[in-house]
Amino acid sequence: MVETKKIMWMIKKDLLVLWRHKPRLISLFLFPIIMIVLFGYGMGGTINNIPVVVVDQSQGPLTDATLSAIKGNTLYDVKDITSDPTKGLQDVQNGMVKAAIILPTNYDNLNTTSQKSIVVDVDSSDQMAAGVIIPATEGIFNGINQQIAVQKLQANSTSAAAVTTNQVAGSAGNPFQSILNTVNLQINKLYGNISYLDFLVPAIIGMTVLFGCVFGMGEIVAGERERGELARLFMTPTSVTTVLGGKIISKLVQETGRGIILIIAAIVLFGIIINGSIVLTVLILMLGALCFIGFGIMISARVSSQEDFMQSVMPITMPMMFVSGVFYPIETMPWIFQKIAYIMPLTYVNDALRAVMLKGVGIGGIWIDVVVLIGFTALFFALGVTQFNRDI
Amino acid sequence: MKYAIETFDLTKKYDDFTAVDALNMKIDNKSIFGFLGPNGAGKTTTIKMLTCLVQATSGTANVAGYDIATNPNEVREKIGMVPQLVSLYSDLTVRENIDLCADFYGLPEDLKVSRAEELMELVDIKYAQNKIVKQLSGGMKQKASVVASLIHQPDILFLDEPTIGLDPTTKRVLWDLMEELNSEGRTIILCSHDMYEVELLCDEIGIINGGILAAFDTPRGLKDTMINEQKDKKSSKNSDVIEIMDELRKEGGVEDSAAYDQLKDKIERKNRDLKELSVMISNLDESMLNHLNNIPGIHEIVEHDSGRLVMDIDSSDESVSLIISEIIGQGGNITSISTKDPSLEDVFMSVTTKYKKEGVDDG
Repeated sequence: MVETKKIMWMIKKDLLVLWRHKPRLISLFLFPIIMIVLFGYGMGGTINNIPVVVVDQSQGPLTDATLSAIKGNTLYDVKDITSDPTKGLQDVQNGMVKAAIILPTNYDNLNTTSQKSIVVDVDSSDQMAAGVIIPATEGIFNGINQQIAVQKLQANSTSAAAVTTNQVAGSAGNPFQSILNTVNLQINKLYGNISYLDFLVPAIIGMTVLFGCVFGMGEIVAGERERGELARLFMTPTSVTTVLGGKIISKLVQETGRGIILIIAAIVLFGIIINGSIVLTVLILMLGALCFIGFGIMISARVSSQEDFMQSVMPITMPMMFVSGVFYPIETMPWIFQKIAYIMPLTYVNDALRAVMLKGVGIGGIWIDVVVLIGFTALFFALGVTQFNRDI
Repeated sequence: MKYAIETFDLTKKYDDFTAVDALNMKIDNKSIFGFLGPNGAGKTTTIKMLTCLVQATSGTANVAGYDIATNPNEVREKIGMVPQLVSLYSDLTVRENIDLCADFYGLPEDLKVSRAEELMELVDIKYAQNKIVKQLSGGMKQKASVVASLIHQPDILFLDEPTIGLDPTTKRVLWDLMEELNSEGRTIILCSHDMYEVELLCDEIGIINGGILAAFDTPRGLKDTMINEQKDKKSSKNSDVIEIMDELRKEGGVEDSAAYDQLKDKIERKNRDLKELSVMISNLDESMLNHLNNIPGIHEIVEHDSGRLVMDIDSSDESVSLIISEIIGQGGNITSISTKDPSLEDVFMSVTTKYKKEGVDDG
């Protein structure tokens, strides 16, 4: 026999509890909206607007046509057009753009018999962006190559002598080979062949540290407050700073250990290679952990139960995971999500970890990430400690 | 230091709700003080303010000679608290919890060990010192909590319903401990709903209701106040009746003067200090009953049934022995005797009900 009345009571009770805990209620509705907006608008599965720089070292109709083709493709977001190939490369190395498309000095000279070597310097540490840029760029220049070939063939049909000269100077084996191979695209993966797993691992480590620290602080601050264990400590002549200090160090040690185990597991099980310093990687991990611990303390400073803590952090941590470039490059997201990404500490942890682990850069290459993370950490701790409610 | 605790208009508000309203009380040093009140009366909030777990909204208090607002750490060093909910770390052992508390109070290592051993033996929990707290029974958890609260030898020990849900043996252990600690010169503040416990242990009692201190006295003093209040109430009613009777007489409405005088005398006797005496007489008969009816110390035989006599008698010390002598003189075989004073529970009910009525009237 189905005990309908009792089942109805259970439903009613749960709804009443939800109604009487407004933060939980708000979170219940807000959280799915945030998530669907992020998925729908932010990561709809297509990658567009990848920032690139174009280096044009010659002027003419072909350069104009090429620029027009690149700009007209929604895949690219041309951040700069320069004539200096070194600057283009530096922009990629500095992380300002994902690729530099370098057109050669003879690009607009259709009469030359030598190949036009176009170099594409790609930031291969961003595997997602690189994986899209390379075939797309190949496609564009294949098209351009065909157009040049057609133009040359048309020109050759009116000048048999020129064709003969071209045949001789080009390829002895195939008289049209030099025409067909006018454009030679060289893809230069700056950081070698990076697999999607290589790309994911630093961010997964960052994400694991985020959830470990934030939810862990919820348990050891909000949870202990709820169970009355914090009251026992606050009965003694002990400051909030001392109690929290102990908890922070304990959590930091745990999370650093967890991060190191993750790195070792990734190396042993999947052959991940760390191109940069392992010590620097661990230090970034610790800084990230400290920052997320501070975030956990800030949220738990005023809440009275673990459930309230969870409901308060979920609408922040879950979107943070999606907008901070764990799975997709930030630069390819709509501008609003890019802005949100830059106020999320996980963005800087991911960026710094990828820079060290994949690009092999030193502290000089990640100093902005480090400074921002220190700033976030200081802010979270200041708010957490000053706002901490000692009242039980 | 005369007072262990002195409060000065101590107030705690939560938004619009006033949990404790301008509380003023003084608790003697080295006493056992019982803090009573119905659920939600403000007891726990007051205790939390006095133990610096919650900040007062206004007013302040001196605890062990230190101001709770300006010297909270000095207060914390001088006090210990056994909270309502056992707040030990449930995944640590008893010993680990005790050591943790000892270190938080800054005890030297040797002292920490010796005190822990001594206290665990005192409450008989040493055998379970290496057990994880969550595996212990409620009574053992409470004993462990007491040890953790006493490890730094506080001058004042707060106990918030420490024996709730405990078996009689464990209760007795804790009561003995409270008395022993008090005999060592410590002040005990006991919050409890167990009136027997409070009456047994406490030198003074405060009853808080609706955030206001509704009564404060010794247990005997509270009972006497209640008896006097009841007497005053009765006396006032009887005086009104006599006044009406006198007016009737003046207007010539009384025909039988003797009957009138007898009735008036009976009413006036009701104004006297009376108490209830209950005697069980196995061979009670009519002649014995008639004899007792004429004894001056007996105001009225309220009830007699199956050998049990319930009488309102003069409250003087001699009246009980006089009546008992008379019963024995009549050959009565007494099997039990009891007098009825108001219990602490009666006092509690009276004080809290009075507040409720006033609250309704005011509202």
